[in-house]
Amino acid sequence: MRGYIAFTRKEFTEQIRTYKTLIMLAVFVVFGMMSPLLAKLMPEFLSSMAIEGVKITMADPTYLDAYTQFFKNITQMGIIVTLLVFSGCVSSEVTKGTLINILSKGISRSAVIISKYTASVTLWTLSFAAAAAVNYGYTAYLFGSHSTHNLLLSCLCLWLFGAFVISVTFFASTLTKGNYGGLLVTAAILGVLLMLNMMPESVRYNPVSLAANNMALLNNTVSTADMMAALGVTLVSTVLCLTVALCIFRKKIL
Amino acid sequence: MKEIIAYLPFLIPIVAVELILAVTALVHVLRHENYRFGNRVIWIILVLFVSIIGPILYFTVGRGDE
Repeated sequence: MRGYIAFTRKEFTEQIRTYKTLIMLAVFVVFGMMSPLLAKLMPEFLSSMAIEGVKITMADPTYLDAYTQFFKNITQMGIIVTLLVFSGCVSSEVTKGTLINILSKGISRSAVIISKYTASVTLWTLSFAAAAAVNYGYTAYLFGSHSTHNLLLSCLCLWLFGAFVISVTFFASTLTKGNYGGLLVTAAILGVLLMLNMMPESVRYNPVSLAANNMALLNNTVSTADMMAALGVTLVSTVLCLTVALCIFRKKIL
Repeated sequence: MKEIIAYLPFLIPIVAVELILAVTALVHVLRHENYRFGNRVIWIILVLFVSIIGPILYFTVGRGDE
């Protein structure tokens, strides 16, 4: 337990010194600010680009457009940045050999993985919460106060998807050697999940639906009960990925 | 265009955060000599002219070991 706390503290310091904290917070806050603004200004952009004689008519943007932009940005660029930032988390220390010293001082291998996961998920939570809060504030200011269905659940789904992606990168980078193997395997796993999402029978249980149904939840076209299966599956697979990562890492030759 | 000027107070923070990222990355590029790939000129151009993505790429894949 003491090892766990010490190592988690070391992870946070490392996140700050390797600029991970800066990148994650900056990118997500920018997304939070940009999305409502983009939704608001979109008709202006289009009308200024319009060719003479062609008239583009667009309905006045609403707060739902702001959330569409927000969820689009976070599920695409946000998840890609998260993947890039956290993919080297385990593998870089293995390839550099910096773990050998620490492990020989008596910190258990499980503590290393769990600490790293704690620190990564904490940073993801902070960045995502900052983005959601800024987005909510900007949307409220630009579009007036609004009440949305299931906004909290929608955000929770996306947050869990992020936590799931991080656990997959941990699993993938304990599985492979080198710096980029983990990234490739994670991309492959996510690709397979995305393809599975095209089959209507699997959508209910697919973790990807947590990042795809956000707007449907706000529009009330998908009910809360529909998401429960996917939430459960994602939670179980996150724990499973971490457990397998732990088992592999314990036997890994450093 | 008028509308865009009206929303300037909202655009400035976004530009500020992008600048912070770009400048931090630029300082790092100039103070370190080893990159995992590419050279100094490439990274300076990427970091300064590809907003947000440039600095992120530099810090995640381009930055060499110290």
